[in-house]
Amino acid sequence: MVPVEWYLLLAVGLFCIGLFGVLTRRDALYFLMSIELMMNAANINFVAFALYYGDLTGQVFALFVIALAAAEVAIGIGIILVLYRNFGVTDVTVPTEMRW
Amino acid sequence: MVDAFAYVPAIVLLPFFSFLVALGAGRYLPKGGAFGGIAATAGSFLLSLWVLATVAGGRAYNETLYYWASEGGAGIGPTDIELTFGVLIDPLSALMLVIVTLVALLVHVFSLGYMNDEGETGLPRYYAGLGLFTASMLGFVVADNLLMAFMFFELVGLCSYLLIGFHFREPGPPSAAKKAFLVTRFGDYFFLVGVVAVFATFGTATFAGEGSFPALADAALNGSGSVAWIPGGLELQTWLTIVGLLVLGGVVGKSAQFPLHTWLPDAMEGPTPVSALIHAATMVAAGVYLVARMYGFYALTPTTLAVIAFIGGFTALFAATMGLVKDELKQVLAYSTISQYGYMMLALGAGGYVAAVFHLTTHAFFKALLFLGAGAVIIAMHHNEDMWDMGGLKSKMPVTYYTFLAGSLALAGIFPFAGFWSKDEILYEALVHAPGEPLLFGGYLMGLLAVPVTAFYTFRMVFLTFHGEPRSATARDPEPVRWNVKGPLAVLGTLAVVTGFINMVPVQKVLGLEGIDVLHRWLDNEWGGIDGLSSHHYADLGPYSSEYLVGGEVGTVLVGAAVSLGLALTGVLVAWRLYNVPSPTEHTAKLGGIKDVLYNNYYLDELQVWLAYRTEDVAGGADTFDQGIIDGVVNGVSSVSLFGGNRIRRIQTGIVSQYTAILTLGLVALILVLGVTGGWFL
Repeated sequence: MVPVEWYLLLAVGLFCIGLFGVLTRRDALYFLMSIELMMNAANINFVAFALYYGDLTGQVFALFVIALAAAEVAIGIGIILVLYRNFGVTDVTVPTEMRW
Repeated sequence: MVDAFAYVPAIVLLPFFSFLVALGAGRYLPKGGAFGGIAATAGSFLLSLWVLATVAGGRAYNETLYYWASEGGAGIGPTDIELTFGVLIDPLSALMLVIVTLVALLVHVFSLGYMNDEGETGLPRYYAGLGLFTASMLGFVVADNLLMAFMFFELVGLCSYLLIGFHFREPGPPSAAKKAFLVTRFGDYFFLVGVVAVFATFGTATFAGEGSFPALADAALNGSGSVAWIPGGLELQTWLTIVGLLVLGGVVGKSAQFPLHTWLPDAMEGPTPVSALIHAATMVAAGVYLVARMYGFYALTPTTLAVIAFIGGFTALFAATMGLVKDELKQVLAYSTISQYGYMMLALGAGGYVAAVFHLTTHAFFKALLFLGAGAVIIAMHHNEDMWDMGGLKSKMPVTYYTFLAGSLALAGIFPFAGFWSKDEILYEALVHAPGEPLLFGGYLMGLLAVPVTAFYTFRMVFLTFHGEPRSATARDPEPVRWNVKGPLAVLGTLAVVTGFINMVPVQKVLGLEGIDVLHRWLDNEWGGIDGLSSHHYADLGPYSSEYLVGGEVGTVLVGAAVSLGLALTGVLVAWRLYNVPSPTEHTAKLGGIKDVLYNNYYLDELQVWLAYRTEDVAGGADTFDQGIIDGVVNGVSSVSLFGGNRIRRIQTGIVSQYTAILTLGLVALILVLGVTGGWFL
């Protein structure tokens, strides 16, 4: 059986890729994808610990997170649509109205 | 049977209705509403006589009529305080009711001559003021608790303000009115604190009965009871003394005792009938009456009594000396009022409760008489009050002269006029209680010294006004006065002669006649009254014991009376020698610098103004502190926030990526801090 540390390292790697995407990309669609990666990193953690402790709580949580991710994408796409409609771009550095 | 006590509220309300009528409809009524006032005060007077007769029939009355602050039948607050209006009728208040209503009635009648016949304007306002003034004083007299007394006390002060400033278009009266209001208010401030202290200490402020505060204080001092609250671990006796002195503040202000007497001479700016009312029966009398009303409380604290006696004696002498040099008729009378109320305070402080009430009674009549007489002279002199322009009025206005003379003899304390009996009794009480009490003895000596001074300035006034040759055109041809001036003068003149006979204690003691000390027995509840409010009870409570100096009781009575009468006659004779000449000169000028000091009232007004300016300096300092330090701190805090906000808001760039970076860095930093402090990396 694969030790739980490997799963955790995989999750950390996946999370860092997602974080890197959020920090470096300027396109809002990349944001959505990167966030999806970060959530899946969390999912891997849940499932890995469910396996480790031998109960189903983690798996149930993972299912919830998947549903949540779907809802988040729906809202995110909506926000991006509005962004595009108002500014003609999906670059998040262009709209800077909400500042001091 | 109809009960007189049921009509006691009507005594107070009748003048109040006359106030409302004069205020609302006075301009449509004949004489500016005067008849309403006369009818109301006459009604009150008759009702008061009925009440007096009922009390003489052996009954008294102590009822709470209205609870204006209580919860569901119980009191409010931790000590169950009930705030009420009630009526307390005992021999003292019944007597005072008659005095006040009688003087008010006569003043109303006199006003017909002084105000209406002189063509004054604003008469509805004048009669409204008189009505409210009378109503307030009557409410004060029947009050059954200290708070109600305080409220009416304040109303009296308000009315004095309105009436002293009646001629508000001239510069003097409004200023005098403000001064009277502010100076008495200064004393009332202490009174108010005293009222609160009484409520806090005893949980009640009623004057009479089992649960009254004098009774509770007595029980607490005896050890058979306790009080609800004493601040800061003070001794009970000390605290009661402090409360007594606080209430005394209001008394000193209203009764114009040193050092708050300065308002009273200025109050002469008001119309003369108002001066009569203020000085004889209302306002100034209120202070002394208050001490008499709660004498059961004051008798428990020897220190307070000694202070009262000393202030009284000092004021008696102090004011009398200032009266020596005044040029205006009403000014002399004003200082005599201060001086006479000093005597009453001396009597109260000396344990002479009856003597004080006696002098209050006789003084009310003869001082009202003197003021109304002065008013008649002022009418005759076309409102010139300078005595040096008068002279020779004796033959022109005999009724005024003889009544004024009766009042003056009473004021000077000449046998057998009213003032002699009461003043003699005051000095006798002070004398027999004085040994071993240095303050009281000092008060007695000053009171005794004031006797010849009083007699001198009184007769200086009489001789300058009525004797000698006329010294001006108006004095040669004075304006005649009508019945409405002479009538009140005649009534009061008679009273000034005979009132003294209600209490001939010296005669009783010397000749052994029984039963001619009517006032003594009256105030001792011999006909009826309320337990705990009798002069006997007060004497038992009081700290004094009598000591007779020469030849036992009879000898002391005779010597005391002879000394005071001899001193008074000396004063009269000196005045006779100096001023009863065809054309008198101003002998007081020979006094030089002393005359200036006296004429300027010992520069006390200047001192008070100076004090007021020093207060202003303190206030200025406080203002600087407030504006500089307090506001500076507040402003500094807001400046720091503004500046900081200005800088920190720069991080709000509006770029989402930067927010994410900050979030991530913050999380990393947080984890690092937690890791280092939590020891994860070791």
